[in-house]
Amino acid sequence: MSHLAHTVAVRATGVDMFFGTPENRVVALKQADFEARRGELIMLVGPSGCGKTTLLSVIAGTLTPQAGAVEVFGQRLDGLGQEALTSFRRRHLGFVFQSFNLIPTLTVAENVMVPLLIQGRPYGEARDRAVAILDKVGLKGREDGRPNALSGGQQQRVAIARALVHEPPLLICDEPTSALDKDTGAQIMQMVRDLSRSPERCVVVVTHDHRIFRFADRIAEMEDGRISRVVDDPRLLDTSQL
Amino acid sequence: MYRLALNMLFGDLAKLAMLLCGLAFSALLMAQQSSVFFGIMSWTYTPMVNIRAQVWVSDPMVEQVNDAKPLRDTDLGRVRSVDGVAWAAPLHTSFVQARMQDGNFKLITLVGIDADTFAGAPAVLSQGRIEDLRLPDTVIVDEWGAALMGRMGVGPDGQPRNTPLKVGDTFEINDIQARIVGICRVKRAFTGGPFVYTTYDRAKGYTLGARRTLSFMLVEPQKGVPPAELCDRIERDTGLKAWTSDTVIWNWGERSLARNTFWWFWTNTGIPFSFGTAVLLGLFVGIAISGQTFYSFVLENLKYFAAIKAMGAGMGVIARMLLVQAFTAGLVGFGLGAGMAQAIGRVMIEKGMPPFVMYPQILWATFALVLGISLVSALIGIIKVSRVDAASVFRG
Repeated sequence: MSHLAHTVAVRATGVDMFFGTPENRVVALKQADFEARRGELIMLVGPSGCGKTTLLSVIAGTLTPQAGAVEVFGQRLDGLGQEALTSFRRRHLGFVFQSFNLIPTLTVAENVMVPLLIQGRPYGEARDRAVAILDKVGLKGREDGRPNALSGGQQQRVAIARALVHEPPLLICDEPTSALDKDTGAQIMQMVRDLSRSPERCVVVVTHDHRIFRFADRIAEMEDGRISRVVDDPRLLDTSQL
Repeated sequence: MYRLALNMLFGDLAKLAMLLCGLAFSALLMAQQSSVFFGIMSWTYTPMVNIRAQVWVSDPMVEQVNDAKPLRDTDLGRVRSVDGVAWAAPLHTSFVQARMQDGNFKLITLVGIDADTFAGAPAVLSQGRIEDLRLPDTVIVDEWGAALMGRMGVGPDGQPRNTPLKVGDTFEINDIQARIVGICRVKRAFTGGPFVYTTYDRAKGYTLGARRTLSFMLVEPQKGVPPAELCDRIERDTGLKAWTSDTVIWNWGERSLARNTFWWFWTNTGIPFSFGTAVLLGLFVGIAISGQTFYSFVLENLKYFAAIKAMGAGMGVIARMLLVQAFTAGLVGFGLGAGMAQAIGRVMIEKGMPPFVMYPQILWATFALVLGISLVSALIGIIKVSRVDAASVFRG
């Protein structure tokens, strides 16, 4: 039991999340249980509206559930105030967004520096680390260009560099390949997998893109606001329903 | 984060230009209109600047320097007898018509000064000598008046001369010849008439029919007697009104005739309302343009601010980023606007019209108002960003 507890990175138990008024309630999560382990890349899949993004937001601490417990790397998130949640995200989370969310008026390096500057790191140190990680994602020499001058795949690499530059234990990826073609998507996922492979890190990916399922260690399928099953082999999933 | 905030601001040059235009226009309007306002108001007490004396004595009913109410000549002796008076000299001021060689008339400010002491004489003569005023039928005209009246003069060939009047030229005041023996450099007046100096006794002649010609008395306190204290003594002993002559707007005292003149024009004319409206317009235009532009800047960056929030930036950090952006834009916009106002003012000063006085206080006030506009703009942005849910970044 203690060994199991040590390997768990994210655990959500009995999470309820609903939106709207009591008369007009939309249930997003209903007694949802979820678990992700250290060192693994787990994907959350399911049809639109099944609650994937809501569960991701709860795990990321950007939404507070109405019921249930959420624990990320040993830290209980339910019951934390906004300030504590913000501080938690700053230290423990990296984000890769569907639409990259790179600030077009900043340079590539400056975009990557954002999480470090939020942590209060000096500009010079942040830039050095940004340049180093951009080198790792194959964007050496593009540091001072604007994101808009890059291809979609390159922009997502910048986003990955930004998500990992402060070495967060939990990497949250929301549809990271939806704006990319098949080959670029595969390259990006390979990169996420390679860069995040560490016993002290966990990657949670929300996706509709069954072409990238093969990069997952496990896949959690959601249906009607809860995890319906977790599989180790993507071939066990019926992708026509996703 | 502040450096990134500035890079975000300066990275969108089109939006920045729009923002700066709004702020600069606002600053220009406020600074320029205020400077012209204070310039015009400074013209209202021009006689206090041009006719220099430490204490002015007038009829008790006088409210401002352009509204002289004649005194009796015997009042001069009464004032001279007041303890603390070193000397007192008569002064005549009136508005009279001068007839030019081409037959045109021009309203002038006739100033009659004491021929013995020349108390109240212009400080700077660009042509001629003040002593020549003791010669018959002589006057000294100011430079602006010489140029203006010169255009109304006729040359020896009978054609318009189009050159300024000079020493030796003549014109008429009430059909009495006035021969120019000097050209002086003085400040222009609100009433628009040139200053024409002559002796007090000759001024009586030029103003035919006036029973009393003593408009003011110019008084010098004895050494060690403060002007304000002497004013008290003169009022107590003579029943006349005594004024100090301080004309520096930010330092003038209760007894300043310039101050009373300023406030008389403030309350009895539409000048403050007119210029105040222009300044308010500048403020509202600034708020509208800058607020709207900054708001749209924030709207365009909203998803990025949401992403930054999701990444762990507190609202305090984001608020400070927006404040840095707004205040930087405000600072640059103020610099541009104030610079343009200065440039316009320089041209105005060279042309002499309209009057332009840009006190440092005007710049400080404009700076404060532009920063106020920036603060309002930043607050609009902060309210908008504070309402953005960090979780919205996961909704595409």
